[in-house]
Amino acid sequence: MEQLQNKVPCREEQLNDLFNLLGDGDECLPCSIFISGSMATGKTLCVNSVLRCLNYKHVIIDCIECYTPKIIFETILSGLEDEEIEVKCETLMDLVNGLNRLQETRLGYDPIVLVFDRAERLRNLDANIMSAFLKLRELCNLNICCIFVTHLIYENFNFRRGAREPIKLYFSNYNKEELFRIIFLQQKPFIHHLLVSYEVDNEIKGELEKPELFANFLNAFLSVFYRPCRDLIELQHMACVNFIKYCEPIIKNEISATDLTKLWRHISPILKSSLELLYLRISDAKSVKPSPGKENSDTDSTPHNFENMLKEELTSTKTFAQSFELPYYAKFLLIAAYLASYNSPMEDKRLFMKNHGKQRKRLQQIKAKAKISEKLNTQLGPKVFTLHRLLAIFYAILEEKIGLTSNLLAQIATLVELKLIAGSKEIDLDTAKYKCIVGYDFIAAVAQTVGFNVRKYLYDFM
Amino acid sequence: MCGLQTENPLEVQIKLIRKYLKLKIMADNESFHGHPQERNHVYDLFKRTVAHGESHSALMIGPRGSGKTTLINSVLQQISKEVDLSNDALVIRLNGLIHSDDKISLKSITAQMQLENAVGDRVFGTFAENLAFLLSCLQSGADRRCKSMLFILEEFDMFCHVGRTQTLLYNLFDITHSAQAPMCVLGVTNRIDVVELLEKRVKSRFSHRHIFIFPNEDSEGAPHAKYRDRLVNTLCLPRTKTVATPKKKGRSRKSTVTSEDLMEIDQETTSLPDSILSRHTDLQNLDQEFLQDWNAHVTGLAEEQKVLDCLEKLCYYTVNEQIFRNVLFELVSKLSVNKPYIDVSDLSAIIDKTVAPEHRVKLLQSLSILELSLVIAMKHGMEIFDGEPMNFEMVLHRYTKFSNSNSSTQTVPRPVILKAFEHLQELEIIMPVRTTDSIYNTTDTTASRVQKEYKLFTLAIPSDDISEAVKNFKALPTEISHWYNNSVV
Ligand SMILES: Nc1ncnc2c1ncn2[C@@H]1O[C@H](COP(=O)(O)OP(=O)(O)OP(=O)(O)O)[C@@H](O)[C@H]1O
Ligand SMILES: Nc1ncnc2c1ncn2[C@@H]1O[C@H](COP(=O)(O)OP(=O)(O)OP(=O)(O)O)[C@@H](O)[C@H]1O
Ligand SMILES: [Mg+2]
Ligand SMILES: [Mg+2]
Repeated sequence: MEQLQNKVPCREEQLNDLFNLLGDGDECLPCSIFISGSMATGKTLCVNSVLRCLNYKHVIIDCIECYTPKIIFETILSGLEDEEIEVKCETLMDLVNGLNRLQETRLGYDPIVLVFDRAERLRNLDANIMSAFLKLRELCNLNICCIFVTHLIYENFNFRRGAREPIKLYFSNYNKEELFRIIFLQQKPFIHHLLVSYEVDNEIKGELEKPELFANFLNAFLSVFYRPCRDLIELQHMACVNFIKYCEPIIKNEISATDLTKLWRHISPILKSSLELLYLRISDAKSVKPSPGKENSDTDSTPHNFENMLKEELTSTKTFAQSFELPYYAKFLLIAAYLASYNSPMEDKRLFMKNHGKQRKRLQQIKAKAKISEKLNTQLGPKVFTLHRLLAIFYAILEEKIGLTSNLLAQIATLVELKLIAGSKEIDLDTAKYKCIVGYDFIAAVAQTVGFNVRKYLYDFM
Repeated sequence: MCGLQTENPLEVQIKLIRKYLKLKIMADNESFHGHPQERNHVYDLFKRTVAHGESHSALMIGPRGSGKTTLINSVLQQISKEVDLSNDALVIRLNGLIHSDDKISLKSITAQMQLENAVGDRVFGTFAENLAFLLSCLQSGADRRCKSMLFILEEFDMFCHVGRTQTLLYNLFDITHSAQAPMCVLGVTNRIDVVELLEKRVKSRFSHRHIFIFPNEDSEGAPHAKYRDRLVNTLCLPRTKTVATPKKKGRSRKSTVTSEDLMEIDQETTSLPDSILSRHTDLQNLDQEFLQDWNAHVTGLAEEQKVLDCLEKLCYYTVNEQIFRNVLFELVSKLSVNKPYIDVSDLSAIIDKTVAPEHRVKLLQSLSILELSLVIAMKHGMEIFDGEPMNFEMVLHRYTKFSNSNSSTQTVPRPVILKAFEHLQELEIIMPVRTTDSIYNTTDTTASRVQKEYKLFTLAIPSDDISEAVKNFKALPTEISHWYNNSVV
């Protein structure tokens, strides 16, 4: 128990509640418990470790894996068996019968706990299944308790017919100090990680293992990351990645481990830029494990590599966009499609014709109206356009004159195939309708390669 | 707490009390209190069916947790003491949650009649034929009279659910009507309009006898007085039990009921049913003196004004006895050697938690500052546009407006914001708008699928909760709360 509190810090209250409710082995279990709390607040961890500590017979059902009632029932029954055997169980009645049979033959009144992890998935099944599990104790003759673990709150499970009320526990999210404490426990693995990737002599190793250094890093780290993210898993991952970068200059003897200001100046731009990578996990394979061979041959090229990689990652949309290597005209077609999607047809004339001085006044009126309503075209999503309009815009933005060839039309089909624009692949000049489904960043990157300024032709940005 | 074996007598006693009370609160499903009239009514129906071979049908209606199932258990328990229930009658219990269609129901009926062997591989044309066969099997006694049958159908509304033919109900009610065999059919439900769900042919065969169980109807005086009595009654332990148990064991079942001499001292407190006690023999080790002390503690507790206030609060929130029991269970589970008595502050904390769980507010307070900012941006946006749904781009627009006007907020890249937005969606703080009849989508014909940035969402959380969350958010940057309160930026 003590041990558990140390392993799972900042969850004293919840662990105590769980221990009290589940009690000692010979006590009566509650009928059902409902545990909610935001993501990565240790719900699964707490429930699983409490059950393991109490050594109760229990089955953990991950409702993502068990996506049909049949799989759930069979998981429960086979989980309660001692040895691996095939069980067949189609309906709730089979389950109840199976449970009662187990009670008679082996289990008696020993406590049994069923844990439904990610219980929000149960809502996809027949609503009665969850109602039945909420009062399972009443339906079969066992000392059984169902625990539902989910990130939703109870109100999100609206039972139309009402249900037996479970005992509810809430896992609130960790605040900055608690996150600090929990991630701080990870110091050893982080250092280990670091030592695997770099060769470090003993003196510096001693420096790196100092808790103050890690604490300092964590403070800097959380000051940047806490605001956009409170997800422990994500923070732990980002901390690990960035800690390596933090220690790099120390390993290379560029900054001494005690010079905190310099270290802060070193890490703060890195942290800021890696904020962009939050949740993306791009750098996983590359930066965490540089190949050891390269490491030894030229050590001083590594920082360079890092910079490059970082830049590359930061411009990921751009690189992604450029990786398509579309033909020249296809790029213009795509841009035309984007413009057709995000401009109203009424403005086409003004945007794409050379002389449009008269409309200035009207433009201002409309813009004033748009300001009030704030409903800019770019915010409302792409609109559908006809092939005629697409071609008209295409010729307007393309300076040179080319003929309408079947080759050009085939490129539209290619864009559809690549899922850059949505619509039918068959080209019918009169009825075909399309919609551009790439974002502004993407189109800006494409436009850059052909020296075209998209903003200039977007009504919203005028 | 992980099974340490100490011989500290206090610890042993506290553990036993904890165990006893937990059993009493959760496992005891047959001691019923209150509703004497309704209980008698059910008792009467069952008794007449079993003893005199009459046929009846009735519906018992009451809200969730009002003790319908408990009432039936207690009646069956009483009858089983008076007549030889297992030989003279068949009790068949079905539950609409489990027996979700007629085939499963029939299978269960067959099993409960122990006729699986008789049926074997036989195939029946219709449901009625099958049921008739089962009945004929039962009529094998010397006088060829069928045993009385008590059909108890829980979650009765599920049996007349749409998309389910009411063949089972029709056949059962038909038997009660035509007196083929003595049978009582009792439906149990929490839907007051359940009769409307019945098919005409079923309805016409139903006796229209209704038994209503309303939680508060038989309480006179202050509403929370009932909870106070329940508190005392549930938490007190029967003092005579230790003396009685060894003797009880030797006696026959019937005599335990009449052993009023032993119960006199503690008429108020119900003891656990024998069936449970016999399973937990160590409960005999409860110390008399300790019990007296405990009971005095509980009665004392019920006098305290603070406790009464708490109970009053609870009874304004709910009259569901089952929720009250959950509260008691949590309360009792907090007992330990270090805390051998019930703490009033615990009780009030648990009741507060039950009455106003505010999980929504807590959920909002679990968000990161960025996520909360998006919620605020969305709320403002929806206020401006009279609750029209918004998509990510619109929310982002409002948020960027705010963060640009505030130099102190660090800028966050767009993908991170999008991820935060998706996080809100996952937590169902914002909900996608399903209907596509909004003005934005009328022109969409080619692609019904919208890019995620343009999918429309509404806020699924009342604005009061947002205010509450913002007000009590720990370490919230001042500019955010300022922004929140000054509505439109
Ligand atoms: N208090 C804690 N101490 C140590 N590690 C923790 C703590 N809380 C969470 N973790 C770690 O964070 C990770 C996520 O925890 P867990 O899976 O229990 O979260 P969860 O609440 O179940 O999330 P989800 O709702 O996404 O299922 C785990 O790797 C766990 O080890
Ligand atoms: N009058 C009562 N006497 C004793 N116990 C009661 C009473 N009312 C409710 N309870 C207790 O409340 C809990 C719920 O009662 P029960 O299951 O009988 O309700 P129900 O009406 O059958 O609910 P549902 O509609 O969900 O089937 C049980 O633990 C039961 O012991
Ligand atoms: Mg989990
Ligand atoms: Mg019931």
